[in-house]
Amino acid sequence: MKPGPLFALPVALFLLVGFAAPIVIVGWYSLIEPRSFDLTSDLTLANYRAAFTEGYGGPFYWSIFGALLTTLTCALIAWPTAKMLHARAGRGAAIITGLIAVPIFVSESVRLFGLSLFMMPGGGILAGSLKALFGVSIGTVLNTKIAVYLGLVYVHFPFMLFPLLLGVALIPRDRIDAARDLGASRWQVLREVELPLALPGLAIGALLTFVLCIGANAEAAILGGQAVTVVTRAIEQRFSYAQDWPMGAALTMLVTLVTAIVVFPVLARIDLNRLIRR
Amino acid sequence: MRKPLQTLWLTVIVVLLYVPILSVILASLANTRYMRFPHRNWSIGAYTDAFSQHETLVLHLASLKVAALVTVFALVLATLGAMAFARYDWRGRSIYQKAIVLPIFFPQPVLGLALLLFFSALGITPSWKTAVFAHLVWILPIVTLVISIRLFGYDPAQEDAARDLGATRWQVLKEVTLPHLAPGLISGGLFAFLLSWSNLPLSIFTTGADTTLPEWLFSRVATNYAPVVSAIAVIGTLASVAFGVVVLAALWIQRRASRQSSSASASISTS
Repeated sequence: MKPGPLFALPVALFLLVGFAAPIVIVGWYSLIEPRSFDLTSDLTLANYRAAFTEGYGGPFYWSIFGALLTTLTCALIAWPTAKMLHARAGRGAAIITGLIAVPIFVSESVRLFGLSLFMMPGGGILAGSLKALFGVSIGTVLNTKIAVYLGLVYVHFPFMLFPLLLGVALIPRDRIDAARDLGASRWQVLREVELPLALPGLAIGALLTFVLCIGANAEAAILGGQAVTVVTRAIEQRFSYAQDWPMGAALTMLVTLVTAIVVFPVLARIDLNRLIRR
Repeated sequence: MRKPLQTLWLTVIVVLLYVPILSVILASLANTRYMRFPHRNWSIGAYTDAFSQHETLVLHLASLKVAALVTVFALVLATLGAMAFARYDWRGRSIYQKAIVLPIFFPQPVLGLALLLFFSALGITPSWKTAVFAHLVWILPIVTLVISIRLFGYDPAQEDAARDLGATRWQVLKEVTLPHLAPGLISGGLFAFLLSWSNLPLSIFTTGADTTLPEWLFSRVATNYAPVVSAIAVIGTLASVAFGVVVLAALWIQRRASRQSSSASASISTS
């Protein structure tokens, strides 16, 4: 065998077993009789029918809506940030970039826990400090959908920023200057020069943020109280309390389907080599 | 935007990212049943409690065991995978490149649930060992990318040159390929360890009866809060920070050494 495929083999085999096979098994489970565990039984679409008729719309709606809103918010914050970081080359920018990267490696449970301590009413970090310093009493958004949204944005911002940094690096400086010299407005430069050139990075960042948010459940569990049931929570309940694996599997397949619909078209159009290679 | 405004914007972003982490540290510095900030009595009692509990050690060891194994497996497999990703140009490479990044673009908790079902179907009882497997599914593609970035800047002609000069295959690997790859391997290993150490969504569903640090924190945060929870969160995070600092220092030393040796060889060739 040639060296290329030979080197590819171990990783490819591992992911075939660890990624592709589990999805196939879940797909199989989703097609067996509700509440059964027997993979040799007759196949049925009953679980998918139930998925569309038995009130799972809510969790799907909230997860998808939350993912879209978070992606949009992160993009709006990350775009100017990426441009500023790209413009100021050198040590300062490197330090800021490093500081933004570090929290990715701090566990989600620690960071979300911290966010809940910060937002806690009464003796929370923010409320307590304001009361002690200025005598102001404030309410809290903890245990509401807003807290979940803030948590999603907080956790996923770096996943938008870093691909976007790679994207912004693809914009040649002279291209912007040329457009300006030819009389383009700021808005025109953004729309017709910067966005198209940075698109690969923006697309990867948006994709990553959206996909990670769609499955996110820790934000809702730690910050949301009972305010919202996300789709992962709904699936988990099918697997554990309800002991209805086929139903949980069908819901899992539907999330996988949504993910695939978003991921494949974007990934097919992007040249990873160009984005990674410096 | 003007420069001071830009600096303000960037400062606000960085501060906001660290506010929650700072909040945990502040909360850990009192040992009262209920959180009442600002604390009337600041104390490190929560830390002495944390260190006196056997559970603290057990949790850290569980996370360490998983992260260490994930790092070893990820480095070996990802080095091979990166060769196919970036070093060789072959038919099917672009499909391979896109296929192996798919697990990164997949919701982690959903992957965890799918793996849980998969293990059950195979009759495997979940434990920390299955968590190692689960972490690898997500971390291996990331480490492959990290090493590939380094490999893209590699000129394979160096290997041919070494071979023409009579080096054996093993010598080429040891003297040419690996030294160039070293920074990629070090940062790849760092990624693998830290991402595994801090992982919550995959661990929740795949560790079975074992419990990692993030998992334990998650369960305690959701149910019964106590200052010792904050203290253990800080200890666990500091442990990974210490690991990161050591590895980055190694990377820096390695980079300096290779710069010196290359400038030394450059001065030899010019003289």
